[in-house]
Amino acid sequence: MDVPLVITRIIHVLSGAFWVGAAIYLALILEPRVRSIGPQFEGQLLNHTSKLNSAWITGAAVVTMLSGFALISLTPGRSMSQLASNAWGNMILAGLILSLAAFFISGGAGVFSAKLRRGLDAGDVSTDELDRYRRNLSLLSYLNAVIVTLAVATMAAARFA
Amino acid sequence: MDAEVAILRLLHIVPGVVWVGSAVFFAWVLQPALKVTGPPHAGALMSNMVKPMVVLIHSSAWLTIIFGVIMAFRVRDPLFDFLWSTDWGTMIWVGALLAVLGYAVGTTGGFTSKKMMDLGASLQGPPTPEQGAEIARLQARAMLLTKIASVLVTIAVVTMALAQHV
Repeated sequence: MDVPLVITRIIHVLSGAFWVGAAIYLALILEPRVRSIGPQFEGQLLNHTSKLNSAWITGAAVVTMLSGFALISLTPGRSMSQLASNAWGNMILAGLILSLAAFFISGGAGVFSAKLRRGLDAGDVSTDELDRYRRNLSLLSYLNAVIVTLAVATMAAARFA
Repeated sequence: MDAEVAILRLLHIVPGVVWVGSAVFFAWVLQPALKVTGPPHAGALMSNMVKPMVVLIHSSAWLTIIFGVIMAFRVRDPLFDFLWSTDWGTMIWVGALLAVLGYAVGTTGGFTSKKMMDLGASLQGPPTPEQGAEIARLQARAMLLTKIASVLVTIAVVTMALAQHV
C-alpha cells in the first residue's frame, strides 16, 4: 500500500466532504431558517457562528485544494502536466476552477455575513441595507453550494473521462 | 459499462458527501453554537430546521446507500464472493456496516431531539427544575448521539476510500 497516497486521499476526501456538506447545509437549511426567527436571534447566532463557520469552511477548502494538488502528483501515471492536455486533465482542471470559484464566492458570502453581523450589532444600519446584505449572502451561499457540488461531480467522474 | 459506473459513482459520491459533510458540520460546529446561544431562540431555530434537515440527511443517506449497493454489484460480479474473500470486499462491507450503524445512531439522536422539542413546546411557562433537568439530559444525549453518528459515517468514508488501496 502506498501510504502517502492513501493518507493524502483520505485527507482530500474528508476535508472535501466537510466543505461541500457544510456549504449545502448553510445555504439550504441554516440561513433561510435563521431569517425566519427574527433579527435579534440572527445577530446572536451570527456572533456565535459566523467566524467559526468561516474558519472551518475556509480551512477545509484550503486543505481540500492543497491535498488535491498533492494527490495529482502522488497518483501513479498522473501529473500536473496532464491538466488540460487529456480528458482526465480537462475534468480535473474544470473541477479545480470550480473549486477556486466556490472558494472566492464563499469568501464573498463571508464578507456579507460579517457586514450583516456588524450591522445587527451596531443597530445603526437601515433595514433596506440589512436586507441587501441578506439577499447577497443568500445568493452567494446558493451559488457556492451549486458550484462545490459540480466540482465534486467533475472530480469524481474524471477517471472515467 | 464505464458510463454506467461513472453515473452510479456520481449518484453514490455526491449524496454521500452531502450526508457526511452536513452531519459533521451539524454535530461539531452548529449544535455546540446553538447550545451556547441557548433558549428561547435556539429551540425555535431547531424546531424550524428539523423538517428540511430530516429531508436532506435522510434522502442523501438513502441515495448513498442504495447507489452504493447497486454500484458494488455492478463493479464486482459475483459480489458476495468478493465481499467475503478479498481485502477489498472486507473494507467495503465494514464501511457499509459503519454507514448503516451511523445512520441508525443519527436517527436515534433525531428522535431524542424531537422528544426534547416536544417537551419544550408543551411548557406553559418557565420549566420546573425537573423539566429543566430532563430537557438538559435529552439535549446532552442528542448531542452525543449526533457526534457518534458523524464519527461513524466519517470512518465509513475512510474505510470505503481505502478499499481500492488494500
